[in-house]
Amino acid sequence: MRMRLAALIAGAGLTIALPLCAHHAFQAEFDAKKPIHLQGVVTRMEWINPHAWMHIDVKNPDGSTASWMIEAGTPNTLFRRGFTKESLKVGTEVVVDGYQAKDGSNTGNGRDVTLPDGRKLFFGSTGTGAPDEAERK
Amino acid sequence: MSDRLLSRKRAQRNAVAALFLSHREAAASCALVSGFALAALIALPVAGQSPAVAAKAAGGAAKTGNWVASKTPDGQPDLQGIWNNGTVTPMERPAELAGKEFFTEKEALAWEKQVLARTNRDQRAPGTVQDVARAYNDIWWDSGTRVVRTLRTSMVIDPPDGRIPPLTLQAQEAQRARAELRQHPAETPRDRMLAERCLQFPTSGPPMTPYVYNNNFRIVQTKDYVAINIELLHDVRMIPLDGRAHLPSNIRLWFGDSIGHWEANTLVVDTTNFTNKTSFRGSDQNLHVIERFTRIDPETIVYRFTIDDPTAFTKPWTAELTMVKSPGPIYEYDCHEGNYGMMNLLKGARAEEKAAAEGNQK
Amino acid sequence: MRSPLGGWPISFAAAAVCAIFVLSARAQSPVYKAPRTADGKPNLNGIWQAVNTANWDLQGHTAQASHILSLGAQGAEPGGVGVVEGGEIPYLREAFAQKQKNYANRFQDDPEIKCYQPGVPRATYLPFPFQIVQSKGVILISYEFANATRTIYMENAPDSPTDYWMGHSVGHWEGDTLVVSVTNLDDRTWFDRAGDYHSDALHVTERYTPISPDAMNYEATIEDPKVFSRPWKISLPLYKHLEKNARLMEFRCVEFVEDLIYGPYYKHPVVAN
Repeated sequence: MRMRLAALIAGAGLTIALPLCAHHAFQAEFDAKKPIHLQGVVTRMEWINPHAWMHIDVKNPDGSTASWMIEAGTPNTLFRRGFTKESLKVGTEVVVDGYQAKDGSNTGNGRDVTLPDGRKLFFGSTGTGAPDEAERK
Repeated sequence: MSDRLLSRKRAQRNAVAALFLSHREAAASCALVSGFALAALIALPVAGQSPAVAAKAAGGAAKTGNWVASKTPDGQPDLQGIWNNGTVTPMERPAELAGKEFFTEKEALAWEKQVLARTNRDQRAPGTVQDVARAYNDIWWDSGTRVVRTLRTSMVIDPPDGRIPPLTLQAQEAQRARAELRQHPAETPRDRMLAERCLQFPTSGPPMTPYVYNNNFRIVQTKDYVAINIELLHDVRMIPLDGRAHLPSNIRLWFGDSIGHWEANTLVVDTTNFTNKTSFRGSDQNLHVIERFTRIDPETIVYRFTIDDPTAFTKPWTAELTMVKSPGPIYEYDCHEGNYGMMNLLKGARAEEKAAAEGNQK
Repeated sequence: MRSPLGGWPISFAAAAVCAIFVLSARAQSPVYKAPRTADGKPNLNGIWQAVNTANWDLQGHTAQASHILSLGAQGAEPGGVGVVEGGEIPYLREAFAQKQKNYANRFQDDPEIKCYQPGVPRATYLPFPFQIVQSKGVILISYEFANATRTIYMENAPDSPTDYWMGHSVGHWEGDTLVVSVTNLDDRTWFDRAGDYHSDALHVTERYTPISPDAMNYEATIEDPKVFSRPWKISLPLYKHLEKNARLMEFRCVEFVEDLIYGPYYKHPVVAN
């Protein structure tokens, strides 16, 4: 049975080709009802698995500083895109939009991390070097 | 690479894959192959092969389709290198594609586009659990951007409707119990998934199926072993070729016990002796996996696996996907040593319980 | 009868004979030449294991009672003469204080306890086998302990973007010896259970030399100017597993240490003694 292109695209209710339990861990760790929006300075970057961790210092309104740990993804993907552990320098200003840990600690997931000018952190990727990437261009 | 060449290469792979498909499947493939296929079958450029490899291939090789398979120094078909199996092709054929076994080139491109648009994690739905689950920016993810190279609409090829056969009642019950564990705050790590515990990832299996990133494998061959280094998580499947018997049934392994042998250009791997700690789509400790690795061109291995587990599935089933040559490298995936997430998850669970208890007291 | 030259000719002759004997003995002394793989390299494929107490303590040590009373003789530490050439590890004076602190806290702080990957060279002399799988471009070493894995690049080694628990290994052949340079080792690994440690400046050079069909000599030179006053070396044999159908078993110990690491956070907390 041949299907027309349009019908294919219109098939909106399709399931995503993801394993059944991709990242439910985040729902167990972080609270959708505790959104965070932080602007801070990178003090350390741990390029580790299963999640990289960005440590930032955030200035509170009263002038005090709070240290936060922000959870990110697997560094392997970024390394394959050409980034290295030098790619995020200590002192870089970042804006973190995410959710706080359920236990209320200064831990959050970096749902959306940008530079102050709005560009996504680690923007301008050159692709993962995955086998078919070249073919697409 | 131009669309024309892309289309021709896909047609080549499709036609070659048809060689070891059933007649019915082959007929279906051929019906969908574009007019370029005929021209493509005439002369196959072995792009990417060095002169040395090409010379070896010419020297002592068998033919698979029109590609002259190269051999390792020990004379085995050469599967060596780094391979990636990420894809946007789903395991099961969606209802909307019922009866449609293959995409055309054009349909495949359209499919890829819409899947990537739909799954892009930079889409936000602030304040929702779904938004939390998307976790972080899209650049951190890497589950694949292309359909499988055979242009199939699902990985499952048998049953022919592309759907996994129903689970037995006991397997359904076990699956329900596992899912239930994850609904409430984790009491111990054993309530969570193996990947969250840094114990094992779906990429390693067997069978080896793609995950949300790091879908990379390195195959190294010697006279006596095929070794598969799996990035998630720094595992090596050591597959002996000496025809030994399986381990006694009281020895159960996370990866099962794999024995390999060659059938012409196909590596066949038979695995039994699983534990009850892993479950592949509902499988149990009686899982028996038969994998077939066939390299059909310099850049493609067709990977087919049959699941035979009569206490879990009402009948055996078979799936197929492609492993594509990758520049790599494989990066060491240290996991347990930095698993702050598990600590946070448990602390979060205790906080949730505390909040619920305090809420009840009001 | 005395020669006109006195005893000279006889002593000279004797010395010459001795020299010839010694020189020819050297020339004839057999250097084992390992069988070759199909691509002409010394064949190191196989399942290997060290048989010594280096994992307890690289330096010479006598047996000690168990730290855990209820384990009795099972938990006691066996003695060993040590594998360090020259006997002592040459710590910098300031760095030695840390070793002593590690030793005092070894039953809590040894990363082996938490099933952390052992690093190099410790992975080689853990009491577990490992398997070498050799091809032209890479040599894989798969260790039974914690399914640790090393890829030794024999050509086209990529750069290492960060540090890893099993480091970054680049190898080449010197005659029949596989020489491996290991860098980018995570500084949290220890060399043994006695608290011998290193910094992020560690550079290990390994040498694997076949000495018979079923044995290799293993040497590792340790360089770490932040911790040691000079490079130092360990040396030990590795023995091939000869049993039919020899294989690595699984020792996926992460599962075994969950209660130890996460126990305090369980709904019903579990705390180690």
